[in-house]
Amino acid sequence: MKFLRAIGICGACILVALVAGCGKPDADVGDAAAKSITIWWAQWAPAEGLQELGNEFEKETGIAVNVSQIPWDSYQTKVFMNFANKRTDFDIVVGDSQWIGVGATKGLYLELTDWLPTAVDMDAINERAWRYLCEYPSGSGKYFAAPCETDAIGFAYRKDWFEDPKEKAAFKAKYNRELAVPDTWDEFRDVAEFFHRPDQKRYGCAPLTGRAYDSLTMGFQQIMWTFGGSWGDPETYRADGYVNCEASVESLEFLKELLKFAPKGALNLRYSQTLEVFKNGTTAMVMDYFAFFPEAVDEMGDKAGFFIMPRKGDRRVVSLGGQGFSISAKVPPEQQELAKKFIAWFLQTDIQKKWITKPAGFTANKLILQSEEFRQATPYNEPFAESLEHLQDFWNVPQYSELLSVAQKYVGEALDDVKTPKEALDAIAKEHEKIFAEAGLLKEE
Amino acid sequence: MVSQRTGLLKYGFVGPALVVLIVLNIFPLLYNVVLSFTDAELVGGGARYVGGSNYSRVFSTAEFVEAIRTTAVFVAAAVSIELCLGFCLALALQRGFRGKSAILTVLLIPMMLSPAVMALFWHQILSGDYGILNHILAAVGLGQPEWLTAPGLKLISILMIDVWMWTPFMMLIALAGLNSIPQYIYEAAEIDRAGAWRIFRRITLPMCAPLLALAVLLRTTDALKQFDLVMAVTGPNDAATQTLSALLFQKVFGDGKTGLGSAYACVLLVIVIALASVFTRYIDFIQRKQGKTQQ
Repeated sequence: MKFLRAIGICGACILVALVAGCGKPDADVGDAAAKSITIWWAQWAPAEGLQELGNEFEKETGIAVNVSQIPWDSYQTKVFMNFANKRTDFDIVVGDSQWIGVGATKGLYLELTDWLPTAVDMDAINERAWRYLCEYPSGSGKYFAAPCETDAIGFAYRKDWFEDPKEKAAFKAKYNRELAVPDTWDEFRDVAEFFHRPDQKRYGCAPLTGRAYDSLTMGFQQIMWTFGGSWGDPETYRADGYVNCEASVESLEFLKELLKFAPKGALNLRYSQTLEVFKNGTTAMVMDYFAFFPEAVDEMGDKAGFFIMPRKGDRRVVSLGGQGFSISAKVPPEQQELAKKFIAWFLQTDIQKKWITKPAGFTANKLILQSEEFRQATPYNEPFAESLEHLQDFWNVPQYSELLSVAQKYVGEALDDVKTPKEALDAIAKEHEKIFAEAGLLKEE
Repeated sequence: MVSQRTGLLKYGFVGPALVVLIVLNIFPLLYNVVLSFTDAELVGGGARYVGGSNYSRVFSTAEFVEAIRTTAVFVAAAVSIELCLGFCLALALQRGFRGKSAILTVLLIPMMLSPAVMALFWHQILSGDYGILNHILAAVGLGQPEWLTAPGLKLISILMIDVWMWTPFMMLIALAGLNSIPQYIYEAAEIDRAGAWRIFRRITLPMCAPLLALAVLLRTTDALKQFDLVMAVTGPNDAATQTLSALLFQKVFGDGKTGLGSAYACVLLVIVIALASVFTRYIDFIQRKQGKTQQ
């Protein structure tokens, strides 16, 4: 009897604890949420800078800003898993450019079309940043984000190696021209070949080839565009004849050739890893987003230089990076208003001037981008500002993630010699058209 | 009165476990089956009934066939290597010797560690450029393969880690099987002047077989779901190492196709159940056979 009573008392205690535990935190969250906003972003240097500016915003307005950083490889998964809830844990997500389609069409992002012109000087911001980071569909004038971080892919190089008189003389003797930062992909190939000395643990170049998320596609597509290929026709969504055209095949063969001059493990180098092979002093030229380059400067100092993506003929195209601020449609209107306050504050020219002083705080503000002060502030600002005029992005339709995983897989198979470049690109064309057809986007030419 | 209370008490003890089973196992399973007939996506919109189109898509795509092939190769290689090594280790450890318990403890450590953490450690060890394994190979004048990125080596590297982690499990079960064989049977065989090979083939192996089959069953069902090592070594979207579980993850969390991913999950479940029932029938068969022999 006593035993039964004891069990009954224990059960009642557990029940009371559970009920109390379920109820109380909600009330606490409600109180705190009224005065704070949560921003989710990837784990990298600019997010630190955003937190610092958020602290200034709190001093001015009393609204706390919490920037949560999530590792790049799991960023997309975590954000979209959170969007699957009725209410998101973040008020603002600094979403990748390709997400804009899914965010806009699935009711995840709050539409900002009417609000933006009332709060932000839209003419002050680079048109490509609006088009690629904020607008969906392209050219519609409907906005679902405001520019936060504008980014592009570039190269970091060993300035000390390039300036070494012995290296210069040897290069001239071999290639009959001066050793300089490569302006064309052909020159790039020669410089990579020249510096590739595996016996001395020196390697020529490290392109982006990571199989997780998007780094292989981001690294490859700009070479493809520069060679004259493309992912497809944005009007008809036809991929056959575009992604597998002769120029695209040639570009993939070229990427494979570059890998001959790459360090060990170069068949799977994501953003942090190309940076790593630069920081460990082994590789002459590494491809990465400019926002990763502050670490290269911190580690390598004056030995690090930076240059824009090379051209082929008169064509130079750079993979767009960067993200826009999007307000979650799954938070209460009061939180959305606080989020708007922060975005309007952040995009003021005075605050953007502070933003560019943060590591990799890349602005889309045209006046600041053109200013000598910005271009001279860091060794990578000048090539970054130049890159903005050559930006292009992957598909940003709601089906982008399926398109991306197909591209990642088959380009990867071409690098692994499982498929020839032509076979891999044919497979991408076929799969991409299938995805577009299922989504009802594919049109007859 | 007392028996009524005892009856209630029984339900009181069984009830919570039953609720947990229904909430955490049976409901998600049924919900997954329902989702597999819809076009549900990870975010946005409701789910529409689409009949068996997800299943027809699963069976018509090349990636499913490739994932089945990769998974089959992995399971067959991992389980057979682990079984052979585990059984050999068990035979070596069967007899008592000085330091046996210390060696046994050390051998069991890999099995007790988290697969995800171990995969990250092995990622460092196998790194082509700075990994300790390649440094050792270089020191003895051997080549330095790119374990984690060379197309032919990626799956082998995952296999190596799996074998390292799970051979102790096979060893443990084989050791239990060996210790359960009565000593008098060996003594009788010696009196009959049976040779070591004959004793092994006619006594040791058959008497261990039910436990070894159980170990193979457990490892096979586990290896079929291989996911964490693939994620840590190459990521889920690398064609060379994409197992069924990795493909399922990619469909649901990479592509956001919850309905399609649920269909993959159902297919994987059917494969696991089919294999498990084959093994359990085999175990039953062995036990019945042994029962008859003993009679």
